[in-house]
Amino acid sequence: MVNELLVENLTVLYDGLTALENVSFTLDSPFFTVVMGPNGAGKTTLLKTILGLVKPASGNIRVYGLNVFKENKKIKHLAGYIPQVININLHIPMTVKEVVGMGALSKTFPPRILDKKTEEEVERTLRLVELENYSEKEFKTLSGGERQRVLIARALIKKPRLLLLDEPFSMLDFDIKCDIANLLVKLHREMNVDVLLVAHEISPCISFEPEVILLNKKVYAVGRAADVLRLDILRKAYPGVTELPQGFIIGEDHA
Amino acid sequence: MLEFFILSYSVASLSGLLVGSVSNILSTSRSITFGLTMLHAILGGSLLGVYLNLIFNLDLPIPLISTLVAICLSIMVGELVEKGFSEDMSIAFTVSIATTMTIVFGYLSSQISSIALARAWSYIAGTSAISTFQDLLKLAITLFIVLPITHLFFREFKYIAFDEDGSKALGLNIRVYRYMFYSLAAISASVLSSTIGVLATHVVLSVPGFLILKFSKRLSIAFTYLSSVSIMILGYYLASLLSIPPSGGVGLVSIVAVLGVVVYGRRY
Repeated sequence: MVNELLVENLTVLYDGLTALENVSFTLDSPFFTVVMGPNGAGKTTLLKTILGLVKPASGNIRVYGLNVFKENKKIKHLAGYIPQVININLHIPMTVKEVVGMGALSKTFPPRILDKKTEEEVERTLRLVELENYSEKEFKTLSGGERQRVLIARALIKKPRLLLLDEPFSMLDFDIKCDIANLLVKLHREMNVDVLLVAHEISPCISFEPEVILLNKKVYAVGRAADVLRLDILRKAYPGVTELPQGFIIGEDHA
Repeated sequence: MLEFFILSYSVASLSGLLVGSVSNILSTSRSITFGLTMLHAILGGSLLGVYLNLIFNLDLPIPLISTLVAICLSIMVGELVEKGFSEDMSIAFTVSIATTMTIVFGYLSSQISSIALARAWSYIAGTSAISTFQDLLKLAITLFIVLPITHLFFREFKYIAFDEDGSKALGLNIRVYRYMFYSLAAISASVLSSTIGVLATHVVLSVPGFLILKFSKRLSIAFTYLSSVSIMILGYYLASLLSIPPSGGVGLVSIVAVLGVVVYGRRY
């Protein structure tokens, strides 16, 4: 079997402090994997390093056989990244069409004008995330769930093989979390997109049991949620945990 | 008289276009405080230029020295941000370097020549009320360089300001765009400084961008240019009415525009 995502002995340092230490795991496609861990565990750093946005001190990452650091352009075409919504500057007036168009235009050259064909592609992708007739709306006027869908659409328009999502359920109501979770599962099943997401919880709405990577600078466990989210294992990554939280909701959203 | 009138308002219009081409991106990329670096770098650079001319008996163009200093310090800001320092901290660091240059070269120049500081001050405050054909030519050449580049890469600048991590993930080279923009802003600020003065440039650079973020839903480029050219023309007109240097008029109009936005913002 081919390891579609291979992370080997990865160590990342920030100003001499260890963000990730000797992290290793492999995921075989198709995968829907949740990276869980406390705040400061290095979850976002892991996603960014997989994309080649952060240079590690040591280690090796291969995505679909490609070396992340030597073939970074190809990786960026294969992977769609959805950052945390709180990192987006809402003061910039951007329409939904422009945001989704960002994804398509990354393959073109300046001045990257949205042509008719791209606009049609934007509309098609917005339908995929159930946001028909949203293209002219201002991004900042949308609800949290709608913004998340727009960012997913921006990643999807590139037709990626892999989606990397940084806390997609952050600061959303329970129902909206379910909607986003179900959308991701639909994309995973219907479009054969591999999903690696960072979260503080495994949505109880997901109709199947995803794979979990338990991370706190080191990898403490990789496997089925039921096998990993056990108190004896959780205590290693979350030293303060004394009982198994209900619904696997652990830690807090970044605010 | 008609020739003077045409020349003055042509300089005002071209200055407005130059301001508009930079202001939009300066505001959207949350780099208003970056203007501080340019202001102080141009101050420090102009005093360095005055000092070098005095000590070595040269005739170096002061705007060139101040532009080079502004570009170097702007790139230093970009590099520090790239190394993980916050933008505010990086700006504070470069401003401290530029301020030290201003104090040291200001003091040294004043020890050699009694008119050195006055020469530097005229550059800083833009006290010259007379627009020259050279000013017009300098502005036209700068516009010819700055305007196409800012428009060609406008979407990139906007995307980066909107979502830096997402832009990186899409393959945009943030460092290149940051340096490009900082350099364009430094060149524009330096040229504007030699027509309306450093202080007025600092004020006016951020105003059209500020207005557009408050009033325009779509970051309309036309709105930016309209507001920046209007501010400059009204500023020159006010200056001629009040018999003050153009920098004074432009500064006053900018302040009124910002106050208007603040009052409007409180009422609505």
